[in-house]
Amino acid sequence: MASVRTASRLLSKRVLSTAKAVPAAAVQGSRNFHFSIYGKKKNAKVSDDISTQYPVVDHEFDAVVVGAGGAGLRAAFGLSEAGFNTACVTKLFPTRSHTVAAQGGINAALGNMEEDDWRWHFYDTVKGSDWLGDQDAIHYMTEQAPAAVVELENFGMPFSRTEEGKIYQRAFGGQSLKYGKGGQAHRCCCVADRTGHSLLHTLYGRSLRYDTSYFVEYFALDLLMENGECKGVIALCMEDGSIHRFRAQNTVIATGGYGRTYFSCTSAHTSTGDGNAMVTRAGLPCQDMEFVQFHPTGIYGAGCLITEGCRGEGGILINSEGERFMERYAPNAKDLASRDVVSRSMTIEIREGRGVGPEKDHVYLQLHHLPPQQLAARLPGISETAMIFAGVDVTKEPIPVLPTVHYNMGGIPTNYKGQVITHVNDEDKVVPGLYACGEAASASVHGANRLGANSLLDLVVFGRACALTIAEQHKPGEKLSPLKPSAGEESVANLDRLRFANGSQRTSEIRLNMQKTMQTHAAVFRTGSVLKEGCDKMDAIYQTLEDIKTFDRGIVWNTDLVESLELQNLLLNAVQTINSAEQRKESRGAHAREDYKERVDEYDYSKPLQGQEKKPYDQHWRKHTLSFVDQKTGKVTLEYRPVIDSSLDEQDCAHVPPAIRSY
Amino acid sequence: MSLLRVCSRQLFWNSPAVEPLFTGCLRAASRAVNDKEPLKKAKTPKGRFDNLEETSKDVLEKFPDDVNPVTKEKGGPRGPEPTRYGDWERKGRCVDF
Repeated sequence: MASVRTASRLLSKRVLSTAKAVPAAAVQGSRNFHFSIYGKKKNAKVSDDISTQYPVVDHEFDAVVVGAGGAGLRAAFGLSEAGFNTACVTKLFPTRSHTVAAQGGINAALGNMEEDDWRWHFYDTVKGSDWLGDQDAIHYMTEQAPAAVVELENFGMPFSRTEEGKIYQRAFGGQSLKYGKGGQAHRCCCVADRTGHSLLHTLYGRSLRYDTSYFVEYFALDLLMENGECKGVIALCMEDGSIHRFRAQNTVIATGGYGRTYFSCTSAHTSTGDGNAMVTRAGLPCQDMEFVQFHPTGIYGAGCLITEGCRGEGGILINSEGERFMERYAPNAKDLASRDVVSRSMTIEIREGRGVGPEKDHVYLQLHHLPPQQLAARLPGISETAMIFAGVDVTKEPIPVLPTVHYNMGGIPTNYKGQVITHVNDEDKVVPGLYACGEAASASVHGANRLGANSLLDLVVFGRACALTIAEQHKPGEKLSPLKPSAGEESVANLDRLRFANGSQRTSEIRLNMQKTMQTHAAVFRTGSVLKEGCDKMDAIYQTLEDIKTFDRGIVWNTDLVESLELQNLLLNAVQTINSAEQRKESRGAHAREDYKERVDEYDYSKPLQGQEKKPYDQHWRKHTLSFVDQKTGKVTLEYRPVIDSSLDEQDCAHVPPAIRSY
Repeated sequence: MSLLRVCSRQLFWNSPAVEPLFTGCLRAASRAVNDKEPLKKAKTPKGRFDNLEETSKDVLEKFPDDVNPVTKEKGGPRGPEPTRYGDWERKGRCVDF
């Protein structure tokens, strides 16, 4: 008995001693690194190259794709199919990307409903872009469109069918036959009412066939640039707070648009223009940032758009005085005026103080004067929509609406192959190792205005183009060029600074200020004085970033930190947008100014060209804007780049000379 | 104590008027039939399958065989033609324009 007791005492002493051997509470900054290297990530090495506080995991791949929406997934598995060891770094799970919300269709000149030719689609897209689109890129996209749609259908995307079993096409998006002279064309293919959702799921499912390595919920911080060449990406793993460097010969950016710079937008909360900001911080330009597509009636607060059919069926827009204000702006068409006229009228009413609501920043769309049965018959589901998103009973109360951002035509400038370009010595120069596709890129197929159902097409065609270009110019397993061991340290320093930021303004406050300023000054109604005022305000808001305050000091799943990083990205996009808009003294496509209502081209295309003198390059506006930002001061510098007017093959498809755009 | 109850029950058994009272008490005690309290199962997702008549009426009804009778489109969007107002409309929301 006594021996047992001594034995137990000895045992307990051993337990105590082992307990003492375990280190005491973790000292801030030194902890064991818990990244287990398994499976294909065997080549990942942990290093202290950047900082001892933030151990970095280094990965080596042949290609890295940032973003896993429609374009990102198509590029990723296109590369894997070609045999490249590809990594796909995304801050969201692939099927949660914003592509899933694209419920419209996808245009392609398949010719199933009537005789069709992709050259007519080419003409429609060039005209829609108001002659700011690069015609070689548009040629590439429209020529590849039928093949792209058939390829998607072969991947298993369940398009709707005609009786004969061919893909059903409907009329949508300003498409015409015979270069605008043959009437309405039926080119839009769809999958019931969830084309984008189906596209994304099809592409994701297909990508699982190939061995792409997915790094899901990794927030890409910056590009690793050396000597003007892109050598990879540095990212933060949100799950455990580790920093990862992905070294690759080829980097593809497909991060989507930046709708969240505005107060009212249809984009997801994650559309923060991360790719555009990464490229800006690398010293490269962004193109055509001032072209932002608006829709007049978006629900206040929610951001969903109310169809024009409401106004078509008799709905009216009223201001705080209960007046049907459209009668003053468009006496004949009234509420059925074109979208830009309606958007501008609504904005003018709000600016003049006749807005509704506690902040007088929106107007009402009234439908309760229409008989409820007619409303339910002609617009089924609208009462449900109004109740869910606006919380109003559409048969009794009006819906609060204001002009809402839907798409960003601007982005990272690329050529038709998907390679990122910059403009040096009056020539387009390719940035080696960097590619971009999707809404983040500006190839520019949409030019000054995007046509409906062309965006989904843009994603798949240019996603595939990036993969093809990389496969053409590089081989899998190529040796990586050397990289400085401390590459990426500024990104980590920025991360550390934000993590322990202790200023006076919260992230959400700065973000709301930016959104309100952009909505008031850089929205639909653009005039010199308003834009100038907006530029100054945005400059001031950019400076308040120094004074930011974050609350979460941890590193594991720190959403406060990620939102602050996203805010930095949003601000870079916002300053470029408003400064580019202020400088562009003309009205073209989606950029409409009250003080310069006309389009300023090299010739006046409304009159016969004979006898006209060509305006010099610096006096007309048919050119792309390239904007650079100095990250520290927020100062924007603008340069310009000419529009590519020749198509890829003049024999096959002649380019479309500019003309006045009228529908 | 239970013994006493059994004895009292046996005493009552003889009178016929008590029988329905007795069986009613037993039934209420065992809760086999309960008209006042509805079945909890009906409120759970699994329980909803038990009464199929209560499925929510969808505003946009499915076409028979999923074929649109006017345009003969198979697998297309439900409800009226989405592009009838120039933009792509569904349930009053515009999704593309």
